[in-house]
Amino acid sequence: MRFNAFGQGDDEPGTVTRNYRVLLVSEVDRGSLAVALRGPYSALIELGGDDEPVGDWAAVAISGAGFYLSLTTATGFGLQVAALVSDELVARGVVTGEQRSVVELCLQEAVANAIVHGNLGIASTAKDYPEGYRVFSQLVNERLNDPVLRRRRTDIFTRWSSRLLDISVADQGTGFDTSVIPTEVDGTSRSGRGFVFMRALAGRVAVTDGGRCTSLRFML
Amino acid sequence: MEFHARNLADAIEARLTGRLEFTDHDRLRDIVALLDGPNLRRFVVDVSGLDFIDSAGLGMILILQEEAEQKKIKLIVRGPRDDVKRSIDLAKIGEIVSIEY
Repeated sequence: MRFNAFGQGDDEPGTVTRNYRVLLVSEVDRGSLAVALRGPYSALIELGGDDEPVGDWAAVAISGAGFYLSLTTATGFGLQVAALVSDELVARGVVTGEQRSVVELCLQEAVANAIVHGNLGIASTAKDYPEGYRVFSQLVNERLNDPVLRRRRTDIFTRWSSRLLDISVADQGTGFDTSVIPTEVDGTSRSGRGFVFMRALAGRVAVTDGGRCTSLRFML
Repeated sequence: MEFHARNLADAIEARLTGRLEFTDHDRLRDIVALLDGPNLRRFVVDVSGLDFIDSAGLGMILILQEEAEQKKIKLIVRGPRDDVKRSIDLAKIGEIVSIEY
């Protein structure tokens, strides 16, 4: 993993001090991301490519207890990001081991929606036809190789207090009609289980920005 | 997710381990292909080694159910525990798939 670090008010990349807050990374794998999350950063941002100006991220504002993680779709797809973030929340003492599994499942659903339906633009109805799962799998692979779609970002914002944990997941897709989100499912339902999981397990779920941002609140 | 298959008398058992999630659709086709085995009457999906399943993973189990039904093979999901059991119960998958706890 390559990185540049920024201190608060420090706009010169590559300066490593105990005060830096923003870490810009590239060539990320799961192990290096886990290590970076353990660091003293309040923002961890994967650069989309060598042509992306690193200075654009220097002004990311994070205040209070929390952290911000921004990954490209290509990277976020296979890294089990929800598990990594949940592990970090346990390590920082924000959630207990028991609370972790609830947070992980809800975050997993939000991240999966952001990546697959948001950034990759694949509708859940793609699986509704005979052999649909093969079509779905093919679409995922094709779009992960699309140079524009693979660089779209999935942003995860976490903030917490002694009583609350708020997590928001945002994507760069075209959004969706939030009025069609199901409130319940039965065993035969083709889609909508993810939102049902989130609503059943999180203290509050809100979908904003035309379907591009899902916010979860957990009572601690 | 990883899986290992073994032949039983009139059945095939696929033992799944790790996490079954939205990135695993590629592997689903390999599991579906097991349903083409000869003289198959039951297909057992042993999930006791699964640590995590999300809604997409549950969708894959429903796809297996549909594929098995078309071939007149009985699908049994065996041994869900902890978080996996919670997800199966929340999604009411037991309404249409045989679950053995």
